[in-house]
Amino acid sequence: MIKKIAIAVLGLLLAAFVLYSCEKEQTTLPTEPIKEIDGTWKIVSALRNGTDMTNRFDFSRFRITFSGNAYTVTNPVPFIQEGAGTWTFDDPGYPFKMNFQENGGAAKSSEIQYPVRNGKRNIVISFSPGCAANTYQYTLEKEN
Amino acid sequence: MMLLVFVMGCSMTIENVIQPDTINGGETLVSTLYVKLTTNTEQTSKFMIAILVPKMWNAREHATITFTSDITSGPQKMTAIPVGTPAPQADGLDWPAKLAATIGNGGNLINDWEWVAYYSDADYKVVGNVEVNAVVTVSIPTTEDNISFKMGYVAANSTDGLSGTDYYGSYFPGCLRVVGTGDLIDFCNPQLSSIEPRTSLDNDIITINFDAGVIANPLANASDIYLCASAITTDGETIDACAATEKTKLTSLGAGRFRIECWPRDYFAVPAGKTLQRLEYFFTNADGSIKVGYGGGISPFIYTFNCK
Repeated sequence: MIKKIAIAVLGLLLAAFVLYSCEKEQTTLPTEPIKEIDGTWKIVSALRNGTDMTNRFDFSRFRITFSGNAYTVTNPVPFIQEGAGTWTFDDPGYPFKMNFQENGGAAKSSEIQYPVRNGKRNIVISFSPGCAANTYQYTLEKEN
Repeated sequence: MMLLVFVMGCSMTIENVIQPDTINGGETLVSTLYVKLTTNTEQTSKFMIAILVPKMWNAREHATITFTSDITSGPQKMTAIPVGTPAPQADGLDWPAKLAATIGNGGNLINDWEWVAYYSDADYKVVGNVEVNAVVTVSIPTTEDNISFKMGYVAANSTDGLSGTDYYGSYFPGCLRVVGTGDLIDFCNPQLSSIEPRTSLDNDIITINFDAGVIANPLANASDIYLCASAITTDGETIDACAATEKTKLTSLGAGRFRIECWPRDYFAVPAGKTLQRLEYFFTNADGSIKVGYGGGISPFIYTFNCK
């Protein structure tokens, strides 16, 4: 009799342990931080149709400044847009494209890469400012 | 399908190519290749023909290649090999890349050419110790572009590829003149001056090259070369930039070669709303007393902005 009671108590304890030891599985995914690019960026690498033009043409004074969703360009070089305007990522968490809307002009978008090189965030942007067959690729690095 | 005893083997040569010296732009270029194959081993392969063409013709889409042989019946069809398809024994390179690496550019001096490779639609079984002759007909619709170009042809098979010089034949029949419209695009002859990219608009960055040693000219021994250029807009306005300054000075690359990088819209301060139609330019010495134009003479070099 005592033995039966003991077995029953053990069974109840085991059931209680199983029921209350399991925690509810966390199903929410961690969120990717939104990419912040506010600040002034410069060109550190420029390719034209795969040819390195970085030291052949003066890209050194070009700057693009992002502030919120606005951008401005100083000391222009051939670029996806000529003048200032607004910009957006296609996906702020996982950007694959960057859209530039020039003030009073048409929007243009570019596929981008967003790597970290030498500890610094880069934006690699590709576009064709002239003939569509001529592709330029600029690597931008944040200056400040 | 009838089993065709088509000889592919250890030795393949292009004995001759019949190709016109000159055609009019827009006409179809028809070339005939005479190919001889000899074997000493049995093999089953596809026949491969490759053509070296200017990219502007888009030959991959428009050209047709067929062949006959003394042991096949009727014209045999060939189909362009998709880019990216690995060539045999080529370490992963596709046919265009392997042809470019092994055969080269045929002497074309403007980097706007391509190899386009074709396989026979059928596989052919080869027996050993025979010789077979094939006649290949290549038809390529040309464009209206005014060009001189060095065509090239290669014959090989899908088993041996370009893995040995006996396994393929190549033939370069010389400079083809296509009489078309617009500025002459001369792939054949060294040029005193050339501009890269070959096609551009005024918002591209262009590289203007000067090769002072190509032909005799008054600047052949100059150490400092300057660009003297006029930009003509689509509405007929002329914007000049001819002063010898740091801005117009070319960079020396050695061996008499010079170049200058130019963003035309900025270089000529083109007003908003205007577009450049062409450049007319010369090269000068520092004080402008010597001026060299097209062919080393007094007429300007001309570059027309377009994307064609």
